[in-house]
Amino acid sequence: MIDVLIGAMVWSNLLVLLALGLTMTYITTGVPNFAQASFAIVGSYIALTLLRLIGLNPYLSIPVTFILGGILGLSTYYIALKPLIKRKASIEMLMIATLAWDLILFGIIGAYSEVLSAITKKTETLFVFTSLDFNIYGIPGRLIVSSLLVLLTILGLYLLLYKTKFGIALRASMENPSLAEAMGINVENTRLFSWFLSGALACMAGSVLPYLQEIVPQTGYFIVVSIFAASIVGGLYHIVGALVGGYIIGISESLFTYILSILLGPGVLVYSKVISLLMMIATVLLHPRGITGTEMWRRVERWLNL
Amino acid sequence: MVELITLILFFFALYVIVSLSLNLEFGYGGIPNFGKALSVLTGALVVGGILNRLLIWYFGIEGDFISASSLAAYRMTEIVSQNPLIGLGIFLFCVTMAVVAGAIAGALSILPSAKLKGDYLGVTLLAISEVVYLILFYNTEIVGGYYGVSVPDILAFVPGEYRVYAYTVLALICALLVYLFLEKLLNSPYGRILRGHRENEDLIKAFGRDVMKLRIKTMALGSAIAAIAGVVFVFYSSSVVVNAFNRVEWTFYPFLIVLLGGKGNNKGVVLGAFIFVLLKMLIDFYKFDIKYLLHLPFEAVWLQYIVFGILALLILCYKPEGILKEEPIYTPPIKSRLKTNP
Repeated sequence: MIDVLIGAMVWSNLLVLLALGLTMTYITTGVPNFAQASFAIVGSYIALTLLRLIGLNPYLSIPVTFILGGILGLSTYYIALKPLIKRKASIEMLMIATLAWDLILFGIIGAYSEVLSAITKKTETLFVFTSLDFNIYGIPGRLIVSSLLVLLTILGLYLLLYKTKFGIALRASMENPSLAEAMGINVENTRLFSWFLSGALACMAGSVLPYLQEIVPQTGYFIVVSIFAASIVGGLYHIVGALVGGYIIGISESLFTYILSILLGPGVLVYSKVISLLMMIATVLLHPRGITGTEMWRRVERWLNL
Repeated sequence: MVELITLILFFFALYVIVSLSLNLEFGYGGIPNFGKALSVLTGALVVGGILNRLLIWYFGIEGDFISASSLAAYRMTEIVSQNPLIGLGIFLFCVTMAVVAGAIAGALSILPSAKLKGDYLGVTLLAISEVVYLILFYNTEIVGGYYGVSVPDILAFVPGEYRVYAYTVLALICALLVYLFLEKLLNSPYGRILRGHRENEDLIKAFGRDVMKLRIKTMALGSAIAAIAGVVFVFYSSSVVVNAFNRVEWTFYPFLIVLLGGKGNNKGVVLGAFIFVLLKMLIDFYKFDIKYLLHLPFEAVWLQYIVFGILALLILCYKPEGILKEEPIYTPPIKSRLKTNP
């Protein structure tokens, strides 16, 4: 039981990091990024490469994956989206562009996994880091590290958004881009910032993911529904939504599968995605703006004085 | 060489069916159906999941589903090789069922988001399609999952070496019928209201049309048509393997074809399907030569993904209207006006 809870917490932490990026880029660019899950797998492979080639522990390589992930996020924006936004493409076209980018990343990941296998003379298409994990008083490292990453991200974002001038400009251009632009704020900077952070957070989450589950090039297709469910349930129009949605989806996925596995035996992992889908559909039907878009949330916010 | 041409023609026919149905939904109706793979999978599900169970029940075979369906498929193939009419009957029966099942699946999948705008619509459709795919893939008891199940050969009466040609002809006939049907259908008030819906939803509402009903109807129709492709594909490969119905092959590639050929133009989509399938099959057919020639340290299939991804981005950026542009609708008043002052 305790293992299940730990697994649920780690998965929720990672989902929060992934959904944060998705929500941020949706707010600034207005396009749901279907390549978000592939960002994570790119992160996993960066961590694997550093481990195999220079023996660096995946936890220690997080700063490197963070920066490389940021570059990946920026290149997504520059290569796949910016040329289209300039030509005033419709939202459907932008969505297809992120699908295409997802396919390119998938192809690169698959090709790279075979190249890496050829270099290390081992099969690298399927890997886990579980055996590398450390333990403090019975608490596995993946729980400590992923929780720390979420805490640091939230703290950093809070300080940046609420305590600096750049943050105020950022929030202004997220809430109302045209008004912010009229006030002389460079909205483009907001987009660049959100894409950098989106890629960086996703890759960071990806480098912890192999401690939790097996990674293959197709893993992205397996987790993409959970990320979207987290963002939509929490609310796509509010950064905090990713936090709320990530924990709700992550915990209910894990606990639901646990209960189901007691009732029906093992091999029910795939049904965890059914619960995310159902929660997502319920949100879309009842309140498309998600939990952070409700009136009640606004009251909570006022009460917290944010 | 003949093999390659047959292969190209067969997959050309399949992709024409699926892409035309996507063109109905996306090109004409403006619904970003990122769950297209679901409807093709529904066609496969009808054959692998329903027909096989009926046959197992009919022959009274015991045992687990996968081995029982191999036996059932084998016995049915024996019968069909003696009696061509039964084979064609089974095919028509499956197509009818697939059309009904596809229509239900399409209508149900858009129901949660039918009132919302493009991005929510696309995300929900993609999520539903992905989850159904994952369940069918990992649960081997529904249609065999990653193991796959055999299905009867409905053209077993055709001598072995000609059977591939027979399937290709069958697929081409289906594609032609779908094309003629859609051309007729879209050149009607329904087709015009669809285009209107794509351009401006509020206008359609102002004219008293129910946007939600229109979307549900369109998705039901599009999915019903795409399910036919699933049936033909499954009988051709004489097995259902769920991996074959993934998102890349049956959602992304049809989108690429519609964009390449020209959305809102059925002729363009047929042309796009031909160019795309030609490229894809050449890469598939010569994959070992490509790997050897370019000294690739990896399988050529990954290169195929990268190439088609880049192609899609280039089309989106430089030629979003496709090879053949959408044509104006030549209704009688427009025709007469063109005649008087060309």
